[in-house]
Amino acid sequence: MLEMTDVSKTYPGGNVALRNINVRIEQGEFVFIVGPSGAGKSTFIKLLFREVLPTSGSIRLNDVDILNLTAKEVPYLRRQLGIIFQDYRLLPDRTVYDNVAFAMQVIEAPYRKIKRRVMNVLDLVGLRRRAYSKPNELSGGEQQRIAIARAIVNSPSLVIADEPTGNLDPETSMEIMEIFQEINNTGTTIIMATHDKEIVDSMGKRVIAIEHGEIVRDELNGVYGYESEQ
Amino acid sequence: MSLSSKEYFIRETGKSIKRNGIMSFASVSTVAVSLLVLGLFLLMYLNTDNLAKYLEGQVEMTVYLEDTATGEEVAEMREKLKKMEGVVQVTEVTKAMAMERFKNRLGDQATLLKALGKDNPFPERIKALVSQVEHWPKVETAKFGQEVVEHLFALTKVMRIGGAVLIVFLCFATLFIIINTIRLTVFARRREVVIMKYVGATDWFIRWPFLLEGMTLGLGGAIIACTVVDLIYVSLSGRLHTTFAFFPVLPSWPTLLYADIFILACGTLIGALGSYLSRQLPFPEEVPAGLGGAAL
Repeated sequence: MLEMTDVSKTYPGGNVALRNINVRIEQGEFVFIVGPSGAGKSTFIKLLFREVLPTSGSIRLNDVDILNLTAKEVPYLRRQLGIIFQDYRLLPDRTVYDNVAFAMQVIEAPYRKIKRRVMNVLDLVGLRRRAYSKPNELSGGEQQRIAIARAIVNSPSLVIADEPTGNLDPETSMEIMEIFQEINNTGTTIIMATHDKEIVDSMGKRVIAIEHGEIVRDELNGVYGYESEQ
Repeated sequence: MSLSSKEYFIRETGKSIKRNGIMSFASVSTVAVSLLVLGLFLLMYLNTDNLAKYLEGQVEMTVYLEDTATGEEVAEMREKLKKMEGVVQVTEVTKAMAMERFKNRLGDQATLLKALGKDNPFPERIKALVSQVEHWPKVETAKFGQEVVEHLFALTKVMRIGGAVLIVFLCFATLFIIINTIRLTVFARRREVVIMKYVGATDWFIRWPFLLEGMTLGLGGAIIACTVVDLIYVSLSGRLHTTFAFFPVLPSWPTLLYADIFILACGTLIGALGSYLSRQLPFPEEVPAGLGGAAL
């Protein structure tokens, strides 16, 4: 599904973010990326949706070398992915429904399909009743659910989440993780960078730890392994 | 492009213009003022050009004869002049008539001949005529009012070059305004654009609403400019007709039709070009730090 071979990333100015990363993630896996702040987790995540390019190495997603894609092909790569951020990145002047439908409109999906699919996804994240509310009328947890709904509405094969529970309280974070688990149960791969010890320890998933730009640990049924930063 | 995409683009364009109401109003107004000046200048240029052509068509050659010329010599000369190519009318003004007509203005010069180009005599042709006639016996001087014609040519040349320069300058100014407006729109919608990129929108899908917005702003400004230009022209040309009946003002129809088409095309094209160029500038790839957060 995803294969990174000898991937290194040095930013202009000489800051080495990642060093010789070799990792293989299969379809349907649920993987946590953990490590101290500045260890290279965000760079790892950004490489996956070609937000940044590595200095060396190769990245293959579904047997496609994503580094060889032209600028015009990048949007089509991103259609196979669902991306979720800590700060939700919603459009404040649009309703919940419109925020989710937006992801389908931009890939030019037919109107009828959009309506049906958006409602199904809002059901999945428990927001059907709030479909016509504006994001700022909702709690942080509900806003993150909108972001999740938007990420999965195009049925991506891989969901990438960068600190999705970073702004949420522990109880809400666990609710969000239940949604991720449900998504994973449908066969969607999930790669999540997180600082949340409780979540990682309670989920019992594969854990890849990055320190100083290198993978120092890769365990199935792993634990967070650091003191909680929450 | 699917129907829902077209609807989406139109809806987004409308929303964006409404959302950036003050900025949209400012840019439509500026475009309108620029195109208004452009339109008025265009009409002024067309009319000056028309006046120049009209006056060029009125060129006359004056042949001054020596005092010693007899009546027979004058009659012979008149016949010779009539036979010359390009001469449509020869008018003889005797000394007495001249005295009568022009009183003291012509002094003792006796004859005035009118040589009028048939349709639109070229100055070279008139010059050639003059150079021929000049060498005839008993001819003191032959003039075709070259000073006036030359001044007119100089004026139309200045109008043509100056007009072209001004039009180009105004087009650039309008373009600059549109680029800035669209940049502001892009800036206002940068979050949306970034999200569009994350969810896999193609560059053209992102570009369309901005392009439409630029075209709409340009067209809006052009419609206002056309209306004002038309009103000014109709009112001014009416007054010119009543005050200076001899002034050859171009008729409103079809002159204004051409001017309006030019202004509308200019506005729309400049709008589209401005949007296109604004997207060639560096574009926000990331939501800037501090703009994240729940409600944004």
